[in-house]
Amino acid sequence: MTDLHHLSQRTRRHFLRDCGVGLGALAFTDLLGRDPTATPDPLAPKPPHFPAKAKNVIYLFMAGGPSQLEFFEHKPKLTELNGQPIPASFIEGKRFAFMGSSHRVNLLGHDKKYQQHGASGAWVSDMLPYTAGIADELCFIKTCQADLFNHAPAKLFMNTGSGLFGRPSLGSWLTYGLGSESSNLPGFVVLQSGPRGPRGGASLWSSGMLPSTYQGVPLRSKGEPILNLTNPTGIAAAEQRKVIDAVRQLNSQRLAVTGDDEISARINAYEMAYRMQTSAPELMDIRGESKATLDLYGIKDAGEASFARNCLLARRLVERGVRFVQLYDTNWDHHGGVTENLQKHLPAKAKDIDQACAALVRDLKARGLLKDTIVIWGGEFGRTPMGEVREFTGRNHHIDAFTMWFAGGGFKPGLTYGETDEFGFGPVKDAVHVRDIHATLLHQMGLNHERLTVKSQGLDLKLTGVMPAKVVKALIS
Amino acid sequence: MRLTLLTLFLTTLAGLSAADPVNFNWEIRPILSEQCFSCHGFDVKHRKAKLRLDTREGALADHDGTKAIVPGSPEKSELWKRLLNKDPDEIMPPPEAHKPSLTAAQLAKIKLWIEQGAVYEPHWAFRAPVKPSLPSTGPEAIDTLIGRTLAKAGLKPSAEASPEKLLRRLSLDLTGLPPTTAALDTFLAARKQNPETAYQAAVDKLLASPAYGERWGRWWLDQARYGDSNGYSVDAPRSIWKYRDWVVTALNADLPFDRFSIEQLAGDLLPHATEAQHVATGFHRNTLLNQEGGIDVEQFRIDSVYDRVGTTGTVWLGLTIGCAQCHDHKFDPILQKDFYRFFAFFNNQDEPTLKVKDSGQDAASLTKQALGTEKELATYLANHATALRQWEEGPAASAKKLSKEIRAILAKPLARRTPTENAALYAAGPGNNEEAFKEIYDRQRELQASLNGGTPTLVMKERATPRKSFLHIAGDFTRHGEEVTPGTPQTLHPFKPGGAATDRLTLARWIFAEENTLTARVIANRVWQAYFGRGLVETENDFGSQGSPPSHPELLDWLASDLKANRWSLKALHRTIVLTRTYRQDSAHRPDLTEKDPDNRLLARQTRLRLDAELVRDSALTASGLLSHKIGGAPVFPPIPDGVMSVGQVKREWKTSQGEDRYRRGLYTFTYRVSPPPALSVFDAPDGLATCTRRNRSNTPLQALTLLNDPAFVECADALALLIQRDGLASAFRRCTARVPTAVELATLSPLSARSAARVLLNLDETITRD
Repeated sequence: MTDLHHLSQRTRRHFLRDCGVGLGALAFTDLLGRDPTATPDPLAPKPPHFPAKAKNVIYLFMAGGPSQLEFFEHKPKLTELNGQPIPASFIEGKRFAFMGSSHRVNLLGHDKKYQQHGASGAWVSDMLPYTAGIADELCFIKTCQADLFNHAPAKLFMNTGSGLFGRPSLGSWLTYGLGSESSNLPGFVVLQSGPRGPRGGASLWSSGMLPSTYQGVPLRSKGEPILNLTNPTGIAAAEQRKVIDAVRQLNSQRLAVTGDDEISARINAYEMAYRMQTSAPELMDIRGESKATLDLYGIKDAGEASFARNCLLARRLVERGVRFVQLYDTNWDHHGGVTENLQKHLPAKAKDIDQACAALVRDLKARGLLKDTIVIWGGEFGRTPMGEVREFTGRNHHIDAFTMWFAGGGFKPGLTYGETDEFGFGPVKDAVHVRDIHATLLHQMGLNHERLTVKSQGLDLKLTGVMPAKVVKALIS
Repeated sequence: MRLTLLTLFLTTLAGLSAADPVNFNWEIRPILSEQCFSCHGFDVKHRKAKLRLDTREGALADHDGTKAIVPGSPEKSELWKRLLNKDPDEIMPPPEAHKPSLTAAQLAKIKLWIEQGAVYEPHWAFRAPVKPSLPSTGPEAIDTLIGRTLAKAGLKPSAEASPEKLLRRLSLDLTGLPPTTAALDTFLAARKQNPETAYQAAVDKLLASPAYGERWGRWWLDQARYGDSNGYSVDAPRSIWKYRDWVVTALNADLPFDRFSIEQLAGDLLPHATEAQHVATGFHRNTLLNQEGGIDVEQFRIDSVYDRVGTTGTVWLGLTIGCAQCHDHKFDPILQKDFYRFFAFFNNQDEPTLKVKDSGQDAASLTKQALGTEKELATYLANHATALRQWEEGPAASAKKLSKEIRAILAKPLARRTPTENAALYAAGPGNNEEAFKEIYDRQRELQASLNGGTPTLVMKERATPRKSFLHIAGDFTRHGEEVTPGTPQTLHPFKPGGAATDRLTLARWIFAEENTLTARVIANRVWQAYFGRGLVETENDFGSQGSPPSHPELLDWLASDLKANRWSLKALHRTIVLTRTYRQDSAHRPDLTEKDPDNRLLARQTRLRLDAELVRDSALTASGLLSHKIGGAPVFPPIPDGVMSVGQVKREWKTSQGEDRYRRGLYTFTYRVSPPPALSVFDAPDGLATCTRRNRSNTPLQALTLLNDPAFVECADALALLIQRDGLASAFRRCTARVPTAVELATLSPLSARSAARVLLNLDETITRD
């Protein structure tokens, strides 16, 4: 934290002294005789540690934990041995959620049809036909591993590298490390769909010990897109401008008297806020998109909130230079309850997202954005090969091996990486821990995960924490 | 000879004179800690090449003929050679450690230090503070010490801030509220008599104001990680505001900080503990509670115990004890076993809810009365057993008009009915016509209702049968290592429990043992930080070897000693600091300081500080005349934008408060940890998920949108607009900034409508900044 305070001060001073860009409106000097034409912006673009392969990230977060076994893991043995207990050697000493209640040890097969797709021959089940259609664009990791198997801690872990609250999330680290390319939208944006917010709420996009400058800003699908974006009732746009102009004038006079750089930062913040008042509604208004585009995503009503609309918004955000866009789609838990099971619920969820995920990748590619944009698909964990029986059937949380896919931004298209055992329980080859995923993502963005640090309680805190983490070179080009 | 010349060259380079002895703690330890200790430090498991450099013994040890340090001879010291070596396989620290390379000045210091005999000293924070002997006392002593450092740097302090600015600064710092125009007028008038007396009177008045406890209560609640919900997925609301009120009350009463702390850590264990002392133990009930389905409850109980250990270490000791959860501490002499010995103190509680009676109620006497009435009732029923039996066998007992509850009791066999059920039955039956019975019965019910009523609050309670505590291998609670008993880190002052019990109370008393070198420094530093934006020790939560050394060691020791000498009175500490000339300086930047002291470490001026989140709200409410001065009570729900409460898994209700509760101080806003109130979190209010000893002060566009458009601030602007219409622009300007506007400023504002002018005033940087 300490160093951050210095950093922001130093940066501002640097800009004040050395950079002659920014506010042309302030044509006078302050009491230190300086020309305060500064842009002391902590979100100003910063150079990466080394040349980056990607500039932006779109993270499609399937909150609740989608089943890799129903979607990507073709395991005939699992269906063959349906109902039999999993060999004890697999689960000895392991802990699971719901140990005291509905957790079961009998293998659960399924009736999903699997096929290999594209030139790469990636396995995708018939539940995701559109995703199957872009298999050659995707880089699958079959052996993702996490540490925590309850929803909220696991989501924190996937986002911040720690199950503890109070750490910066991936999007915060990236905007802290690289700044933002957008001068009229936040650098880190969160979009939500599904029946409720994700478990863990705002902690998932928290900036932790980093300043709130780097925290994710939720764009809301109903009402005003950003909190307090709309002028108060009875205040016309011209009047709002007058207010902001007067604030700027008075703040500038105060800057001249005090010489405090914080005031020029505040002047800039008001200008950015004003620009956001125009740019955010413009961003959210997708009526100008062609029918072909809307059809590609499967958007029937341009005004209606949905995961598909969020995918299209993600593309629009990336087009506008937003560094990190995170989509949360909730209700992916499926233990076998009445509303969360493998029979009816999961197919419906799959249908909700499949077309739009594929459309996003296709659309980015068609517009030349995919090479600079990493698209991530995954949940906080996967599901057990053993079934869970409540009113219907389902699967329990599983952290030993689950599937995520990546597209664009230098991730190798058409690659399937990592192998699991005959039941899909654990890796037999090339395990990839969440920390390795984080290290690899940062690497593609031009950041060394060992060097992207913030001082906190005497430690150089990192996204990847203190345990070993590696960039998985095999995944990237 | 050649060597001397080289030394001379290097020392000149570093601006050092060979005659000045190198100070190990200020000059060498930070370099070694940053560069070497993570592999050659205290943590034996991660120690490389069996070499430790954190002790002189280790640094001088012989390793097959080579020694890391040979006192007096850098060129024979392997450490020195390795620092200079260019070979990537030989150089230290190795390239893969990603440490920044040592500067020429750092190298020169290390060389000189070895030449001077490589003297080690115990870490500064582990040595007792020594109160410097000074010609002056109180505030003047502080000014003397600050003045000495300034003089050394050839700097002069700034002039005193303007009276208006001064009173506004003082009011915001001591009470969190800007001065009213009446208070300003009184102060300015009194200054005409005697400026010094007027200032002192203002200080005393503000310290005596109940708003003092609210302002500094929030300071403490940050550290206590206070919040009104459970966190995690479900984030259900919890009732623990009685603890918040306890903090405010205790600070207003200036409960000495040692007692203040002991009651929070172990109030329940104090002899004849009062209800308030039980409520105080809510400090460590501010941990999160995971109510997600399918969890292992023990795992999250242990997590909350870990949090209690870490928080206690950070808040009271300024040490990162939490770092030793998985391994020995890498930088400070804290063993993993020390962590689990500390853990054992906090592993032996139940976590009950206490019902707190409304004020004016005496729980003990109520209980006594209730017991008496219960006995009367039992006697009465025993004497009338026949009447009851006859009634039960008669037709009345089968009548349909009997309540469901009574019919349920009737269905039970006699032997399984409780006395209360018997009484209820009697009341429904024969008792209905017996005055004597009804009198006792009603009295009993009233007493019971009073006893069951009141406000629930979360407290700690020691278990009768202690839990066993074990070291958790690699911090994994499922992997037990050796069994441990409660104890404190070996490296700190000795733990002498005396009696048989080693519980939280002995721990709390250990923290306030005379020999403790840390706590007074840590607290004095954290108070200082609130006034100057930065502590004398900048790493306010780490006084260990990775922390930054104090900028003014003597001043820190003076403050710590003074705090103890004043029997831990926080009000006395506040008073001393705000009476200093250092505090009263103007905050404007100065060209000479921009060069010599850009970060204002030497304090040749005050620092402008953006107000804390709650105070941004409180200031707007005060300026617009809307603020409610009601103190304490259940949290309130001021207006928030639509849709805020649906970010978490469970959509929470936010029923906007009406009447004065709509305009309460930010301290009283209900805080859901997972969906915190946006107008507070946007200004960096902590979310209560972990202890916070220092807030960030960010400066963002979302803050601008909040002040411009948030419904609560618009409401303030509308109220302020009415005041502009009534009293004029200049008066409203004064309500926001305490000063009279300049002609230019008035000219900027006057073309605007009252509503727009009011919005401008509430959006000024000056309005949300303590100048």
